[in-house]
Amino acid sequence: MPALPAPNVHDGSEMTSFSGLKPLAMILPGLFLAMFIIGYPVADLAYTSLQEVSRFGKLQGFAGFANFAEVFSDPLFWSSLYRTAIWTVCVVAGTLLLSLPIAIMLNEDFYGRGLARVIIMLPWAISLTMTAVVWRWTLNGRSGLLNATLMDVGIIAEPIEWLAEAQLAFTVEILVGILVSIPFTTTIFLGGLSSMPQESYEASMVDGATRWDQFIHITLPLMKPFINIAIVLNVIYVFNSLPIIWVMTEGGPANGTDILVTYLYKLAFRFGQLGKAAAISLIMFGVLLAFTILYVMLVSRGDRQPEEVEEG
Amino acid sequence: MQSKLIRSIVYWVILSPLVVVILFPFGVMFVTAVRPRDELFVFPPTWWFSEFRWGNFAEMWVKTSFGQALLNSVYVSVMSTLLALALSIPAAYALSRYRFPGKGAYRTFLLMTQMMSPIVLVLGLFRLMVALGMVNNLNSLVLTYAAFNMAFTIWMLQSYFNTIPRDLEEAAWIDGATHFSSLIRIFLPLAVPAMAVTGIFSFINAWNEFVLALTMIRSSDDFTLPVQIYSQVAGRYQVEWHHVMAGTVLATVPVAIVFSWLQKYLIRGMALGAVK
Amino acid sequence: MASVTIRNVEKVFGSIKVIHGVDIEVAEHEFVVLVGPSGCGKSTLLRMIAGLETISSGDIMIGERVVNKVPARDRDIAMVFQNYALYPHMNIFDNMGFSLKLRKRPKSEIDRKVMEAAETLNLRPYLQRSPAQLSGGQRQRVAMGRALVRDAQVFLFDEPLSNLDAKLRVTMRTEIKALHQRLKTTSVYVTHDQIEAMTMADRIVVMRDGRVEQVGAPLELYDRPGNLFVADFLGSPSMNFIEGNARRSDGAALLETANGSQIPLPENAPVVDGQPVVLGLRPEHLSLTDPEEGFAATVKVVEPTGANVEVFFDFAGQEVCAVFNERYPLVAGQKMAISWLPDKVHLFDGVSGQRLESE
Ligand SMILES: Nc1ncnc2c1ncn2[C@@H]1O[C@H](COP(=O)(O)OP(=O)(O)OP(=O)(O)O)[C@@H](O)[C@H]1O
Ligand SMILES: [Mg+2]
Repeated sequence: MPALPAPNVHDGSEMTSFSGLKPLAMILPGLFLAMFIIGYPVADLAYTSLQEVSRFGKLQGFAGFANFAEVFSDPLFWSSLYRTAIWTVCVVAGTLLLSLPIAIMLNEDFYGRGLARVIIMLPWAISLTMTAVVWRWTLNGRSGLLNATLMDVGIIAEPIEWLAEAQLAFTVEILVGILVSIPFTTTIFLGGLSSMPQESYEASMVDGATRWDQFIHITLPLMKPFINIAIVLNVIYVFNSLPIIWVMTEGGPANGTDILVTYLYKLAFRFGQLGKAAAISLIMFGVLLAFTILYVMLVSRGDRQPEEVEEG
Repeated sequence: MQSKLIRSIVYWVILSPLVVVILFPFGVMFVTAVRPRDELFVFPPTWWFSEFRWGNFAEMWVKTSFGQALLNSVYVSVMSTLLALALSIPAAYALSRYRFPGKGAYRTFLLMTQMMSPIVLVLGLFRLMVALGMVNNLNSLVLTYAAFNMAFTIWMLQSYFNTIPRDLEEAAWIDGATHFSSLIRIFLPLAVPAMAVTGIFSFINAWNEFVLALTMIRSSDDFTLPVQIYSQVAGRYQVEWHHVMAGTVLATVPVAIVFSWLQKYLIRGMALGAVK
Repeated sequence: MASVTIRNVEKVFGSIKVIHGVDIEVAEHEFVVLVGPSGCGKSTLLRMIAGLETISSGDIMIGERVVNKVPARDRDIAMVFQNYALYPHMNIFDNMGFSLKLRKRPKSEIDRKVMEAAETLNLRPYLQRSPAQLSGGQRQRVAMGRALVRDAQVFLFDEPLSNLDAKLRVTMRTEIKALHQRLKTTSVYVTHDQIEAMTMADRIVVMRDGRVEQVGAPLELYDRPGNLFVADFLGSPSMNFIEGNARRSDGAALLETANGSQIPLPENAPVVDGQPVVLGLRPEHLSLTDPEEGFAATVKVVEPTGANVEVFFDFAGQEVCAVFNERYPLVAGQKMAISWLPDKVHLFDGVSGQRLESE
């Protein structure tokens, strides 16, 4: 037998496969950055919200819940909150109602499907700011090309001031909100549909189900987890979405299209009411946290990770 | 065949209103960008215009210092993407390959930060940058974009890394490779496409971001594109819409093309694990 | 070449113990096959030998060297993975030469060794292709080739044939065996296919639930299975088991089944009166016979396989399978008689399942 090399000395750290403390070192730098960039503001907001703050950002001492009290007695807060609810519910509901049929169509084979996919995903590629800027011009009350088109087709005789009146402006903003939320939602649904078992459809076809039966009894139940996730994610995104309203109307006219984020932004960076803004931020953070926890629960429930056992 | 044709017609008819509404602003964008200035505010409004003024683009480039904003956007997007990738790749590798204590909690943390939106924290972030003396500094955006994008990039990379069999690395170890050389010679070459796709999405996110850029950057020399374009619209009595539209065309079309091309990877990434 | 010694090895994942103290000796040049049902810990054990899993307790030695703390790359072993684990971004030549390259061998040596291996495995025409451009069987060969160029001390195989179709599996089985006969490299081969185990092994290790049930040469295990599990696992169709209680009177021994049938046992059978016993009979050891010499059995199902006929009988209230080389014209419901040679009988304790050995 050939002479064997002397046993190597190893600490065993590189022994197996995939265990040990090295992974902690791998996640730590990123974790640190995220903790810092996200953790510091949260802590700072919590602190600031309990302070009296000058217009110039100087903290002037503990104020208890005075900022919160001020927020709750502010009619603009309540009207913004109310509008946030309308905004969120309308945009999310509209998006879902449109996206599911769109996803089902895009999941099937038809001529030009690739092109249709690209077009429908297009709004996602463009920043909300740019989209809103373009719509602001398109909707221009005097020379906007929407008016031009509608007048050419003969639907209206006179140009409409789309953004001059709060009610109408808000409605238009909701429609734009729906338009830009469709691509993401459709993508989630397409992901869900592509993982749908083909045999169930074939089996049900053999059983004599119509396409409507299939939709009600197979597609919808199997898509339910994806619909849930789409709802929660969209609620989170839409609730937090500033650019559309900010660029198109800046919450005006007369605060008539303000939602919480636009109101918060004005308080913080226009009116210098930092204490109040911090309080609203914190309230929104709480709402967001609640939805995020809901999301995490939904995701981890649907998460079929291969069983993992921590090695001691 | 016949039924596919019928289905195609029906689907296109159903989709056409949406397609029109999506393409409409693009039409507006192009038509406005190439109009002569004095045909912007005509009454009654009309699509018609007398000539293609390609010179609008050059004029806009100079007058609005578009080039500077473009550079700023490129800098912020590239640097934040590189930073996010540099921090995400090891983290995603750890998530995909290792068992370690606290892994579940870490996953949850990622999911939660993925949902955390900058707008809710914008005031706190601003005060942080004030404290760091980084207001009006593009690096403030690099840091925040990287931090807020990281959850997404880690998640996306991880789901791609999971599709690279660990057998391959184990086979390399048995072939005599150290962990490091198996990483460099086996894993990384296979992971390059995933890293490229993830990087491009992170780039696009940074490219399109508005709220933080609006907040952190006060001097027009440091504006990124969305803020630069917004600043030409907001609070002005006379808006040079042909310049604004020319700017949006230049700022969005290249990104939109890249995005359309990569869109299927996003769907795949989602199917692989970002959502499921 | 080197021997492999596994001494009282245990493996714990988290809080679950999956290997419960295993002892195996693999001699130099030996081809040992680990078999057992899915999840019994074969792969885990193999991966511990390879250095891909830590050893929770016990020792693994390659040659004289305890390798518990030696990383995979320094163990001088080669391994063929179930999914081949070919490097998709390298061509076949580079796949096979990768280990030599890592060891910084001169290019001429790499060329020579890869060419040699490619020759042996008929891979010469494919060296410049990428793994994606090969068929399953060719990929399997490349995986083998990667091991061959190594001159490793030990070859490890984890179900290397399970992704191939039935016919190719038989071919590759023969090739691997021929290769081993030529190279004589110590090999540990994991499979759950008992035919592979029987045909390829110098010795078989039968495992169940993280324990070794029995070790021995294939025919030894086949002829004298140590317990019911091994008896059942090896052989296809598998051994018939007839349960009952032993009866002893005046030296004669017999088995009484639940429905009252009485089957004589060999006189020296190591059973005591009343002992629960399982009688084992391999299907190929049953034959048709005259009614007065055999035991009554009713034909239930006849399944011709071409080479032979599998017949299922209702016998002593239990189902019994027999394999005949003759194509008897049997039909369901027919009353026949079967018999067997007394020395073909296997006896197991009805409680422990252990083999009862005649003195
Ligand atoms: N990383 C792991 N973490 C936890 N349990 C594991 C791990 N790997 C294997 N196991 C468990 O150890 C047991 C043995 O697994 P192993 O892969 O060795 O089985 P096997 O005999 O190779 O089966 P098969 O024939 O299906 O490949 C199984 O119960 C399995 O669930
Ligand atoms: Mg296995």
